[in-house]
Amino acid sequence: MALVELRGVCKRFRKGDETITPLDHIDLDIEAGEFVSLMGPSGTGKSTLLNLVSGIDRPDSGTITVAGTEVTKLSRSKLADWRAANLGYIFQTHNLIPVLTAYENVELPTLLLKLTASQRRQRVELALEAVGLSDRADHYPRQLSGGQEQRVGIARAIVAHPQVVVADEPTGSLDTETSEQVQTLLQRLNKELDITMLMVTHDSDVAAIASRQLVLDRGKFLEQSGTTPTRKTDGDEMIKQFG
Amino acid sequence: MTTYVLKTIWRHRTRTLLTVTGAAVAMFVFCFVGSVQEGLHRLTTGADADRSLIVFQESRFCPTSSRLPEDYSRKIEEVPGVREVMPIQVWTNNCRASLDIVVFQGADPEQIRRTRPLTLTDGDWQTFSSQRDAAIVGRNVAQRRGLKTGDPFSIGEISVNVTGIFESSVPSEENLIYTSLAFLQYTRGLDAAGLVTQHEVLLTDDADPDRVASEIDAVLRSGPVATRTRRKGAFQASTLSDLVDLIGFAHWLGYACVGLVLSLVATTTVMSVQDRIKEYAVLQTIGVRPLRAMRLVLAESTILCVVGGISGTLLALAALEIGGFAIGAEGATISFQPSLALAITGTLVSVIVGLAAGIAPAVQAASVPIVNALRQA
Repeated sequence: MALVELRGVCKRFRKGDETITPLDHIDLDIEAGEFVSLMGPSGTGKSTLLNLVSGIDRPDSGTITVAGTEVTKLSRSKLADWRAANLGYIFQTHNLIPVLTAYENVELPTLLLKLTASQRRQRVELALEAVGLSDRADHYPRQLSGGQEQRVGIARAIVAHPQVVVADEPTGSLDTETSEQVQTLLQRLNKELDITMLMVTHDSDVAAIASRQLVLDRGKFLEQSGTTPTRKTDGDEMIKQFG
Repeated sequence: MTTYVLKTIWRHRTRTLLTVTGAAVAMFVFCFVGSVQEGLHRLTTGADADRSLIVFQESRFCPTSSRLPEDYSRKIEEVPGVREVMPIQVWTNNCRASLDIVVFQGADPEQIRRTRPLTLTDGDWQTFSSQRDAAIVGRNVAQRRGLKTGDPFSIGEISVNVTGIFESSVPSEENLIYTSLAFLQYTRGLDAAGLVTQHEVLLTDDADPDRVASEIDAVLRSGPVATRTRRKGAFQASTLSDLVDLIGFAHWLGYACVGLVLSLVATTTVMSVQDRIKEYAVLQTIGVRPLRAMRLVLAESTILCVVGGISGTLLALAALEIGGFAIGAEGATISFQPSLALAITGTLVSVIVGLAAGIAPAVQAASVPIVNALRQA
């Protein structure tokens, strides 16, 4: 059984008199450890698919199962609990909490888990080390560059050791150099920690870092490439330690 | 999560300061109004108000217009149920409602000591009893007028020497100045030799106050001046009837203050949540339950309200303690005193209003449509 399974997923929106169907009976399997990128023109339902997998949106029909849990059946509270334990979300605009330091932002998801204070501290420190920001732990988001903010966002997404990390245009608001650094980081997290990733992007170069690229258009997948799941490889000692 | 709430409050310091100040001012007024209500309640209830009677001239209200023979006390003492009678000459600087009324009560010093619940905090009874123009001054009057033992004090035609400051378990007593009866009777302008303003009647334990009051009036009906006798609490409430109506109305002002705090904190919290609606969507995306998001907002509104409310309450209690405020009319005074009940009420109201003010924004934060909120710039 795949880690992420979508079966007959439909999502419709009403826009005035018109009904838009960004996802039309979609089926998708994502294996554990896979890095899947999702491309397509604007408004074709990429982010909608990501939101459905994350459980922050609900399909009109079909089922979504992640790590054996049918998320489409869960209540809003249960979904929140499920996300806290199983899902990491990387936003395009970082969405860090401005009143909290980098450390406190990364710590947030761990506060929702049953961990001791020392376990929390250890996880946060390792997550920050994994993204290379240990020296910026006490900085507030306004004191960080865009790239650093995104790395904090990534640390926040992985700190709870989720089964799946979803990333919505994670390099969309970054310059080329920072974008490349983030891409490398995402690739390393996938390969070295075996984190299953689903990433939405407009950029074909960014999509290429994934082991499988999907293109979505008018509610359907058009093509797939590179279907072999990535394998865990030897890599950076800090990232291995985090895993 | 507590860090998040506290840092959010601290980060928006101007908003926090304005809200806390507004809540503090409103709760200050609320407690002040509450102390007036309490003062009136104390004046008209309790052992002193219920177990003693005031014999006053019939159809007279201001102390200057009641003139009863001093020897009525002997006839009153013969009425069954009467334990002791204290003839009192009253002088006040103002028969109208005033915030700085000065009321002298002249009575036998030994009887004052024996029957009134007074404790001298400064000075001594011996000097008070032995000097003709000696006066012992209630704590509140002393505070308002800046008097201390040894000071001379003059008002109108009356000049006394302060020989003691007293506290009392009956707060309205602390707005009085006691002198000897003879001193006040022979004060120039009063021309009251052999006359008193009222007789205060202390009852035996088993006496029915209303029955004894009727009997006293019946006994004195044959005398030169007709009387009306009432329980002390009823007498004071009647004397202050105009003020009682105003004070009764003032409790609406207290409710208005609570409404003001509610509206202020609710508005601030709603605006804060609306400004940070995306933040609540992010929190729920990373796994914060809707109920927990609700609690975060409720904590924020409650902290703002409690900090403001308790500050206002404490300031009001301090002002009441230091100011020694009182309002009086026609010789009766209502004392505004700080009290534990007021402190507890102020704190409870702050907590309840803080929670109530947070309900609407908390529901808003908990039910935020996550996807739409995340799309906001």
